[in-house]
Amino acid sequence: MAAIVSISDVYKDYHLDKVVVPALRGITLDVHHGEFISIAGPSGSGKTTLLNLIGCVDTATRGVVSVAGQDTGKLPESKLTDLRLNTIGFIFQSFNLVAVLDVFQNVEFPLLLQGKLSAAERRKRVMGLLEQVGLANHARHRPSELSGGQRQRVAVARALVTQPQIVLADEPTANLDSTTGQNIIDLMRELNQKQGTTFIFSTHDPKVMKHAQAVVMIADGRITGRTTPEAAALHAAGGAH
Amino acid sequence: MVTKLRVLLQIAWRNLFASWLNVIIGLVILGGTFLVVVGGSALDSLDRSMSRSIIGSVSGDLQVYAASSKDKLSLFGQMGGGDADLTPIPSFARVKEVLMKVPNVRAVVPMGAANAIITSGNTVDVMLARLRDAQKRMQAGDASAKAEVDSLKAHVHHIVQVLKEDRKNADKLVDESAKDPRAEEAIERVSKDEFWAEFDQDPFGSLEYLENRIAPLLSDGQMAFLRYFGTDLDAFAQAFDRLQIVDGQMVPQGHRGMLLPKFFYEESFKLKHARRLDLIKEEIEENHATIAKNADLQRMVRENMTQPREILFQLDPLKTKEAAARLQKSLKTNETDLEKLLVQLFDTNDQNFQEHYRIFYSDLAPLLELYRLRIGDSIPIRTYSRSGYAHSANVKVWGTFNFKGLEKSPLAGVAAPMDLITFRELYGYMSPERRTELERIKQAAGAQDISREDAEAALFGGSGEDAAGTEGATTAIDEAALFDSGGAARAEETTFTQADIDNGIFINAAVMLKDPGALSQTIQDIQAASDANGLGLKVATWQEAAGIIGQFVQYLRYALYVIAIIIFLVAMLILSNAVLMATLQRVREIGTMRAIGAQRGFVRMMIAIETLALGTAFGGTGLALGAGLVALVGHSGIPAVSRQLYFFFGGPRWFPEVSVTNMVIAYGIVLVVSILSTLYPAMIATRVSPVVAMASDE
Repeated sequence: MAAIVSISDVYKDYHLDKVVVPALRGITLDVHHGEFISIAGPSGSGKTTLLNLIGCVDTATRGVVSVAGQDTGKLPESKLTDLRLNTIGFIFQSFNLVAVLDVFQNVEFPLLLQGKLSAAERRKRVMGLLEQVGLANHARHRPSELSGGQRQRVAVARALVTQPQIVLADEPTANLDSTTGQNIIDLMRELNQKQGTTFIFSTHDPKVMKHAQAVVMIADGRITGRTTPEAAALHAAGGAH
Repeated sequence: MVTKLRVLLQIAWRNLFASWLNVIIGLVILGGTFLVVVGGSALDSLDRSMSRSIIGSVSGDLQVYAASSKDKLSLFGQMGGGDADLTPIPSFARVKEVLMKVPNVRAVVPMGAANAIITSGNTVDVMLARLRDAQKRMQAGDASAKAEVDSLKAHVHHIVQVLKEDRKNADKLVDESAKDPRAEEAIERVSKDEFWAEFDQDPFGSLEYLENRIAPLLSDGQMAFLRYFGTDLDAFAQAFDRLQIVDGQMVPQGHRGMLLPKFFYEESFKLKHARRLDLIKEEIEENHATIAKNADLQRMVRENMTQPREILFQLDPLKTKEAAARLQKSLKTNETDLEKLLVQLFDTNDQNFQEHYRIFYSDLAPLLELYRLRIGDSIPIRTYSRSGYAHSANVKVWGTFNFKGLEKSPLAGVAAPMDLITFRELYGYMSPERRTELERIKQAAGAQDISREDAEAALFGGSGEDAAGTEGATTAIDEAALFDSGGAARAEETTFTQADIDNGIFINAAVMLKDPGALSQTIQDIQAASDANGLGLKVATWQEAAGIIGQFVQYLRYALYVIAIIIFLVAMLILSNAVLMATLQRVREIGTMRAIGAQRGFVRMMIAIETLALGTAFGGTGLALGAGLVALVGHSGIPAVSRQLYFFFGGPRWFPEVSVTNMVIAYGIVLVVSILSTLYPAMIATRVSPVVAMASDE
């Protein structure tokens, strides 16, 4: 089966004033369609940088990042934006909803950017997703009127509304209490299984990791191993000490 | 695209009231548009009403004058006083012929303005002039003049007695050295019956003595500045059809003479007491002022009470008795002294003013000369030409006039129209008769030399009062010489024809248009016609011709523009800064939008639409408020509370109108300012990387 994300020997350097800070040092990773994988590692290990590259919000200093068959290093900014819009869904650590829009409008927003669907189709799509995340009754609420868990569920709905091939989630549970975080991960898993959407999420929480099919361990900008969730959780718990 | 726009508008609208900063910026925009709409509309209306005043009373739509003139034409006089130095144009007929062929020209009226000093004599001067006149008629065999002579003699005698009484009181306040022995002597001599008994032996000698020695002692003589302009009076009356005759009549065709502005006539020639009563009445009735509260009115009441002399001088013994009797009855008092009765009459307050006003006009006024200058009398006009010669002429005042709707405006009648022939003479234009007359004047001036020595002696040796007196004496001699030589007096009665008017110099001409809207085209046409015929004319619009007053609105407009530009510049800076701040606060939101697939153009649009929404909402409110205010005020009108305002308002009330142009301009400015102020913030916003969306919270 072809990899939907294919990363080979990728380096990423950041420039802090005149100092070059290497964030990724030769990463090679394939993610296949329908996978539900976790990227795990301590803070500063390069998790977010890796997600940025996969999510096409950033490009590699060296190496090839290929998303849905496209070499992101060779695409102009506007094409990368299109790729993000049509192929990738994002779930952010701090939800990042547009404060002045209500729940329905937040979820609808990517569809408006796409401009492909009619109002009726959009409505059906959005309401269907809100139904799935259990917020159909809150469609006209503003984000400020919702709890953290509810907000993240809105974000999940927004990430899925364009029916993307990949959903990226950067520490989706970090700002939630454990029960709520658990629910979000369950929801993601459910959607992954039902619709076959590929999920890639970063976390350093062992309880979250264990839901993944596979855990990619990352440290100091290198992949240190690809293990089962149980082993990773054990490792993370050990590492936490 | 439409749906995208919808969500952008929605975001913009929601953000509008999200921050207090926006509301403050909004208020600045609101204030700016409000000011532009209200100020602009007001100025447009003011321009219109003032143009009605100026075009209708002085300038006509356009003015032409010689291009070779040193100064610019300035109908209301120049800044520093004096007149613009304009080259006279030799023949009006030629100019008229050429200009009337320009299609849009309805009428051409020749003009020429100058300033003059007129001295209206005091009461004794007036009496003596009449006495001299009656004496002449009596000698010429007019039997009826005898009674008049006797009455006038008695009157002058009475005045001298009042004067003597007056000085006796005044003497108590000054010491011996301040007294003028010559004045004392004259009063002493004239108050005695012997002087009057001997009067008939040498009536003109006695008259001269009275004119030289007594008349200067009365301080109620007046000097006034008169602005006059020579014109074809009939053409003027026709072209300026708001002109209406108030007293007397229009100067008959072909006759010399002038009309005085009614306002000027009232101010300069009306008996001060009567004038003050009129002014008090007007203030009370039109501006609801009260004597109790208004210091100006109190001053006028005081002046009327403390200066009863002027009235006493006017009354001969018989009339004095009559006046006292009438006032006694009307004021219901036993007082018999007229002076005290007058004080009582003029001691007015808000309760008795109307009653006393009525008493003054019904009881006292018929016994008085209300005007120092009667319609039909001549006034000596004395003016200095550019060559330095003083020219003077006695010009008959046929009537007074004002302009319909501008009755109360002193500005609408600043100048007295005069026949063009007399004007040319005063201007220094040498007609053959004038040349011979000049010879006579020179002779008269020779006679004046003797009295000038007196003047010098008085100037360096005597009191100020005496110096003024001698000045009066020279005037009297000068006039007497002119009268005796008969030159000016005869010139006053000559008539002239339309050809005389047309074939002669003029300084400038008013051009009335059939369609005043086609102003700029007509200016070009006239200029072309002038160039083609070698007339050497310069064309000025009424604004240019009216000088400072005409450009007053223009200056106000510039001021408004400067203020508006400053407001909008400030608004732009604040706006730009505020939008930038708002943008930076929303970096995460913008980054998120970029991450989930919004292009840079979308972000730029979002910022622009938000600012436009701000501009539209608040600018629109400012627009509506401004237009509403102007409409409201325009409906009821603003009353002209001061005399000066009548002219600017073009009448007693001013009705400003909302100007659509101004609204469009104001709105346009707001939109442009909004767009400009988003340029920088939008640029910053598009540079926000989607990476920031992934960054965790601080």
